[in-house]
Amino acid sequence: MPEAAIAVVSLEKSFPPARSGWRALLQPFEKPTVMALAGISLEVRPGEALALLGANGAGKSTLLRILATLVLPTKGRAHIAGHDAVRDPGAVRRQLGYHAGSDSGFYARLTCRENLRFFGSLNQISGAAAARRISQLAAQFHLEESLDRQVRTLSSGTVQRLSLARALLHQPRVLLLDEPTRSLDAIGAAEFRHFLKSEVLGRDETTLLFASHALSEIELLADRIAVLDAGRLLACGSLADLKHRTGTASLEGAFLRLTGRSAHMAVGDFSQ
Amino acid sequence: MTSMLREIWIFFRRDLYIALTYRTAFLFEAIEALFGVAMLFYVARFVESPQLHHSLPHGETYFSFSLIGFVFLDYLNAAMDSFDRSLMEARDSGTLEHLLVTQTSLPVILAGSAIYPFVASTVRIAVYLSWGAVLFGFPLGEANWAAVLLVLIATLLAFSGLGILSASYLLLFKRGNPAKWFFLGLSSLVGGMLFPISVLPDWLQLVARLNPVTYALDAMRAALLVGDGFHTVWRPLVVLLLFAAILLPISVAVFARSLRRTKMTGTLMHR
Repeated sequence: MPEAAIAVVSLEKSFPPARSGWRALLQPFEKPTVMALAGISLEVRPGEALALLGANGAGKSTLLRILATLVLPTKGRAHIAGHDAVRDPGAVRRQLGYHAGSDSGFYARLTCRENLRFFGSLNQISGAAAARRISQLAAQFHLEESLDRQVRTLSSGTVQRLSLARALLHQPRVLLLDEPTRSLDAIGAAEFRHFLKSEVLGRDETTLLFASHALSEIELLADRIAVLDAGRLLACGSLADLKHRTGTASLEGAFLRLTGRSAHMAVGDFSQ
Repeated sequence: MTSMLREIWIFFRRDLYIALTYRTAFLFEAIEALFGVAMLFYVARFVESPQLHHSLPHGETYFSFSLIGFVFLDYLNAAMDSFDRSLMEARDSGTLEHLLVTQTSLPVILAGSAIYPFVASTVRIAVYLSWGAVLFGFPLGEANWAAVLLVLIATLLAFSGLGILSASYLLLFKRGNPAKWFFLGLSSLVGGMLFPISVLPDWLQLVARLNPVTYALDAMRAALLVGDGFHTVWRPLVVLLLFAAILLPISVAVFARSLRRTKMTGTLMHR
């Protein structure tokens, strides 16, 4: 059996409570009492796309950020391609591409090419290899015409595609996306999803773990869905599996039933 | 080592490219420098007297004395400001997380982010001194440039530690630069920037003698105005390098711990 691309074992994360005023000064040293993840375990197979579905505060972003080595867990283990995110963050970073939909994280006055070259160099791709890879990704992500334009002049949709290109620049085995279409309009989001489906998934054995609130996005992209609520993993399975398990006809219905939200909210599943 | 230098160069190139998109800023900075130098020149003309002339350590004019103090303060400011300013810009633009998920190590990210401001500050010093020399008779002919460069590099290394400590504070507390406030404030008073430390009360002169800025400035003036070489400036150089040897490893360790703390508290991107 191949090694899991992502393995999370009994993962817990607590944050210190938010403070304001003069007490904010003490926040870095406060005891972590606000639980964000309460002992989550899951595995993602190589080449698989797993969606994290949950309400705000369910722990999706925290899980992704732990895997991206940006947040340290309180307890438990998180592995990417067999490397421990806490003990060996450098090896983990070699394996992953990370993209958060909430911010672009580019140098606005540099061109797309300059930005990609910069981040590529920091991921040990430079010179001719970087130029080749940038051209390849630009063609794949329909960025050729934007390559020599400053990032500040681009539309949100183009910046999102650029961000995905950056995440894939060093050909990572694992791609982590945190609400990748959050800042896009409906058309931009739809294009981005189809683009992700046709150009990224199924190519190069890339494993995808992504968080989203958009149910259509999850249905289109995910092989399996992990439903989180208040830091707990409620269920993990294919769409058919979740619907079957909850006796509902849609992902929305399954999600609401699993999380114990009021039944009348799921039109089509519960209203009849 | 080669890989580290290459990565630092990548950061420098990034900041240079960004700076080049603001071309008129270079022009305005050069004009601003001219106003600064002219102001010092006329202040010096106003206060210059034989008594003042004799009280200055190398027998220089007050204009030369104050111009070197003024540009040195700018350099010190760059050494202490670059790290936390780069960090704040990276955090606010959202690039910080993307830098931290690359394969580049933290010390290289820190050093790389600070290198352009240091170089820009060195160029700014050259612009100030050039205005002084061309328009107001600042004596550049005597300078020992190798010694000047050594003093600048040693100053940079010595005060970068304080800059990194400031960046650590910024990571944890999100705003403010207490190391800079304290040290620049103290150095403006007792560093011998705009007046010789001999005019200070005895106890403040003692504080001045404990401040590495005093040594750095003294060496800088000796190298620039009298043309003193390594045989004279080695002593302040040793003081500065000792300061760097103690402070740099401590500050990098403190920064790594602060970063770890923000990763624990999940506040890395908080403002």
